[in-house]
Amino acid sequence: MIKLVDITKEYEIGNEKTQILKKISLEIKDKEFIGILGSSGSGKSTLMHIVGLLDTPTGGKVIIEGKDTSSIKDNELSKLRNEYVGFVFQQFNLINKLTVFENICLPAIYSQKKLNYNIKEKALELMQKFSILDRKDYYPNKISGGQQQRVAIARALIMSPKLILADEPTGNLDTKTGDDILKLLEQLNKEFGVTVVIVTHEKDVAARTKRQIFIRDGEIAKKYL
Amino acid sequence: MKFIWFLLDSSFDDLRRNKARTFLTSLGILIGVLSVVLMLAFGYGLQGYIEKQFETLGKTLIMILPGQGFGGSGGAGLIGGVTFDEKDVNKVKKVTGVESVAPVFTKMVKAEANGKSQYSSLVASTPEIFSSGFDDVDYGRLFTKTDVNKKAKVAVIGSKIAEKLFGSNKNAIGKTIRIQNQRFTVIGTFPKKGGGALGSDIDTHLIIPYTAAFSFNPDKTFFAIYLKAKDDKIIGEVKADIKKTLLKRYKEDDFTVTEQAELLGTVNSIFAILNTVLIAIGSISLIVGGIGIMNIMYATVTDRTKEIGVRRAIGATKRDILLQFLSEALILSLLGGFLGLLIAVIIVILIQPLFPAVINAYSVVVGFGISSLIGIFFGVFPARRAAQLSPIEAIRYE
Repeated sequence: MIKLVDITKEYEIGNEKTQILKKISLEIKDKEFIGILGSSGSGKSTLMHIVGLLDTPTGGKVIIEGKDTSSIKDNELSKLRNEYVGFVFQQFNLINKLTVFENICLPAIYSQKKLNYNIKEKALELMQKFSILDRKDYYPNKISGGQQQRVAIARALIMSPKLILADEPTGNLDTKTGDDILKLLEQLNKEFGVTVVIVTHEKDVAARTKRQIFIRDGEIAKKYL
Repeated sequence: MKFIWFLLDSSFDDLRRNKARTFLTSLGILIGVLSVVLMLAFGYGLQGYIEKQFETLGKTLIMILPGQGFGGSGGAGLIGGVTFDEKDVNKVKKVTGVESVAPVFTKMVKAEANGKSQYSSLVASTPEIFSSGFDDVDYGRLFTKTDVNKKAKVAVIGSKIAEKLFGSNKNAIGKTIRIQNQRFTVIGTFPKKGGGALGSDIDTHLIIPYTAAFSFNPDKTFFAIYLKAKDDKIIGEVKADIKKTLLKRYKEDDFTVTEQAELLGTVNSIFAILNTVLIAIGSISLIVGGIGIMNIMYATVTDRTKEIGVRRAIGATKRDILLQFLSEALILSLLGGFLGLLIAVIIVILIQPLFPAVINAYSVVVGFGISSLIGIFFGVFPARRAAQLSPIEAIRYE
């Protein structure tokens, strides 16, 4: 379970302070399927980055499994990102000089714990499940956008995280492919009990989730505008 | 272990992808290592050559030289001091433990025959001189004590003189050469030592009995006196006795009694200094090469900011990122070091017939050691910058 308490985020550009997030508090329970909906510039992506420990809040606390993450060391943050969270980005963010298979296995390289399963077998299994096994030795720029996003999801899952954070996962895909990706995320939540948070500006994407949180001007709003 | 392999593999991959850039970056290190290793090779080669030259002189050789010699604190070397005469020769001959004495008179002269001429180093001495490195002839014979006593106008000449004046060593035997209008008969020739930088020396030597040289040397003085002790164990005492004898006539600073071990020590320390200087010069190119690596690594870090962000997002620690870029810098400089060493080996093999250059284990260790140090030292700054990037800013970087 993840708890955000009074999260604020400020940026200073020149002498001007901009508040991106204003005292946001929310809870994400295990196995939830949540959509964070907001227009561009609303602060929804920043919120996701803070939940995923990629970014640090200016104020407030992120409590993961009862542990306050505001005071832990950078090394520990890396470990949590590695084991607890899986990221899926709009731009896929695969490493182009690594093959599909290597991209999927990459988080295991940075693992600080001993894994009780075989990474290569797990990677092959995920590729099989996501119908990208025949692209195993391809480089990311040689496969389609939908396939790239499947690779990214497989990479996010290789460490068996409890939480998947997807930032506009369908943003760079056509409707049909986007729909496939959403189905995949639904399946992960339903069949494997992974907590899934999708950040999007598209109402119909958010509508696929079980709980929607609306963000407007850095605050949680009652409804989407 | 797995992580290390993955790091190396991905570093090699990056370097392979940018072959031209990789090569150009390594070039500085390549040149640096090449120069350091070559310089060491020349230094060792020269040192080995000179040691070998000294070995042929024998362990029992004692030299009386004017001034403070090689080892003196005056630094003036062989210039200055006194010249010795026959009186000195006769005195040191009587010192106990001395087996033989060879006074040495040297002069640069023009040797002429058949209307041709050749500048030569004239050495006038006794037959004992032949045991200091000139001990075999390919044609004819060496002169003897009898020749010295008879003041015979005979000469043993180097092959360069023989070839220039008579066409070949064989043709020179029995012929007459003129040295400052004195006629000498060639009785022997030294085999050709070859065109090497150092080996050519003996080829222009011209050795005559010292008694026949008095016309060039009216004062009957000698540049140096070479002696042989009866046994190398008594060399110390013999040296002391000679010194005592000569002190009756000369001041302490006017002459030096030395032996080859002492000279060898001096030569060795000169080479130690020379090697240090050469390594310093090589180090400058290595530092420049290192700066090149640092520069390219900074550019690489900027190029790959987004990749660094992605790696951080999926769990890479600062240390993981640091090691990734450090290993890349290290591979770059080791590659340069390896190529530099390889080229140095090829050059040494190619010039081996002309110059006694040597590459030993020490040179290899120095080559690799220096390049890894340079790689780590200059790689650590860009690698640290990569590691310190904020994950979120890196991943947003376009």
